Amino acid sequence: MMENKKDDKLKKLPRLGMWLSWVDKPRSSNKIFISLILICFVLFCFDLIYPKHGYVEIENIRGFYSLYGFIMFAGLIFLATLLRVLIKRKANFYSPKDINSEKYPEEGLDPVNHND
Amino acid sequence: MIEFIPTSFIFFLMAGVLALFPHGLMRGVLLLITPLLAVFHIWYIGFGNFWPYEFFGFDLELMRVDRLSRIFVLVFCLASFLGNLFAWHVRDTIQQVAALLYAGSAIGAALSGDMISLFFYWEATALTSVFLIWARGTEGAYHTGLRYLIVQIGSGVILIAGVCLFYQETGEVSFNKMTLESLGTWLIFISFGIKCAFPLMHNWLQDSYPAATVTGAVILSAFTTKMAIYALARGFAGTEILIYIGTIMTLFPIFFAEIENDMRRVLSYSLNNQLGFMVVAIGIGSELALNGMAGHAFAHILYKALLFMSVGAVLYRTGTAKASELGGLYRTMPLTAIFCLIGAASISAFPLLSGFVTKSLTLSSVAVEHRTIIWLALVFASAGVLSHSGIKIPFFTFFAHDSGKRPAEAPKHMLIAMAITSAFCILIGIFPATFYQILPYETNYVPYTFDHVFSQLQLLFFALLAFAILYRYGFHPAEIDATNLDTDIVYRKWMPSLLGLSIIVISKLYASMLINGSILLEYVHKSLSNSHGPKSARVIGYPSSAMVVNIIIVFALALIVIFVS
Repeated sequence: MMENKKDDKLKKLPRLGMWLSWVDKPRSSNKIFISLILICFVLFCFDLIYPKHGYVEIENIRGFYSLYGFIMFAGLIFLATLLRVLIKRKANFYSPKDINSEKYPEEGLDPVNHND
Repeated sequence: MIEFIPTSFIFFLMAGVLALFPHGLMRGVLLLITPLLAVFHIWYIGFGNFWPYEFFGFDLELMRVDRLSRIFVLVFCLASFLGNLFAWHVRDTIQQVAALLYAGSAIGAALSGDMISLFFYWEATALTSVFLIWARGTEGAYHTGLRYLIVQIGSGVILIAGVCLFYQETGEVSFNKMTLESLGTWLIFISFGIKCAFPLMHNWLQDSYPAATVTGAVILSAFTTKMAIYALARGFAGTEILIYIGTIMTLFPIFFAEIENDMRRVLSYSLNNQLGFMVVAIGIGSELALNGMAGHAFAHILYKALLFMSVGAVLYRTGTAKASELGGLYRTMPLTAIFCLIGAASISAFPLLSGFVTKSLTLSSVAVEHRTIIWLALVFASAGVLSHSGIKIPFFTFFAHDSGKRPAEAPKHMLIAMAITSAFCILIGIFPATFYQILPYETNYVPYTFDHVFSQLQLLFFALLAFAILYRYGFHPAEIDATNLDTDIVYRKWMPSLLGLSIIVISKLYASMLINGSILLEYVHKSLSNSHGPKSARVIGYPSSAMVVNIIIVFALALIVIFVS
């Protein structure tokens, strides 16, 4: 696997893959993060000024969708993390009557590598 | 001429013909032609009731074509075509025949005008689809298939029990709108609920779909649950309790999906959540809501199949669908990654994609009724969909940390299947008015209002921002190879343990009863032997001649009594 990572530059990736590999360049994640913040900022500011016509009253509160989306999403992640503490068991908990710790049988696969 | 055969029988007939052809091109073509023939058939036959049939004195209707059933049949045909195209490489006759029979059964159920033929198709979907799980050929898949079959057949048994009671009460077996006021209708409702994965009855779905073959999961994702959605819409539209059941369905799976490692199981939880939206719409029951339900079912089958295809393609190439073993695959599977992103954006309801124009019908139907809490829950659930299907699936499979795996791009036929499905997702999103024409009720709903687009963008981008912050600062739950407990622990661990425990208790009780009983018997035997045995004082004190005297006295008394009377 590590060899694969080193070999990427030597052996050609598909052109589309090369283009997409921009996301893994050192500063790209920062750029994506900052653009996301900017987009959110613009959306939030615009939400403060345009006339709203929601069916549900709460929709008409300024910044409702932004705050609700952000808070509920973060809450979901934290609650799910808590849930994991309660329900997590070993991968082979139901083994052998379960597929979780089984390998997918090879006859149903075609595991070709990119460079093969 | 076109009325010569019910649509579902086209699939059954072709499944029979298929076995006559050798493996390879001809079978592949047959598998693709069959759903296309069915589309042609259902489109040109028009609306009406066809194929009335008398069965043991019951009037059955094998083909009831109206706007509600037609949209389901159309999307089932489309899903069958796309699933079979994705499975072009499969040479397993069992899977090929099962795929055709399964699609045919689901279509038959959607066209049934009575509950007896519905029951037959209902059970047929169970019997045919289980082979798509067993085809994996492992011990785990065998046991999972058995569990799946027990639940599915159980649903059918409950259905026929309900139908019997319903017939006893009303003298009717036609499949129309019912109200929940008798045991019969409740049983029918529960039977639909099991296949629809209602809360606490849902776990068969997350248990079985990830156990299916690469292509089997794509096919499974389309039919059973949506057939149940259709049945609920036909039988119980406007039933208030469905609003609450549906809301719970949209909410609880998003937490489980968030921490699940197997991507196909994440998709199964996501499927459960999507069904919730449809169930709420059925509960609301207005024309707008039922349009939302049908439109959402149509779009959902496509983007869910697309997501199952992309994860399936990854599984096909890498041998795993576990998030903990994947990551960074976009380098060598860029097209699959892009198709997955289209599916992810569609399910998350990004504007210009199918999820946006269909889910908004349901949300609007809730909003116009001013059900604020339900509406808030559904908006939260939408953010949850973005979390697991919109972000988690593509991000942890194709991006995130580099797993070092460099699989080749998916085979051509899989790419073509994904491309066509993606095209549908985009076309429905761009031309909603055209799509709305096949919905159950005529509508002039406009999804692309400024309010609507803008509010959806805010919700999605702020949720994305929350993810970016949590992921960047290490608060996002890590991908761990584990089993997460769900309600199935009741019948997979607790009930067998309880059974084992009760067997031990009963056997111990029985053993102690035997031992104590034999001691007691021995004691009674000894006491009797002492008091009445050959050596007892009673026997020794009386000679045998005394007994003869006693008998003579009894006989004499008897004679006197007879003589006197």
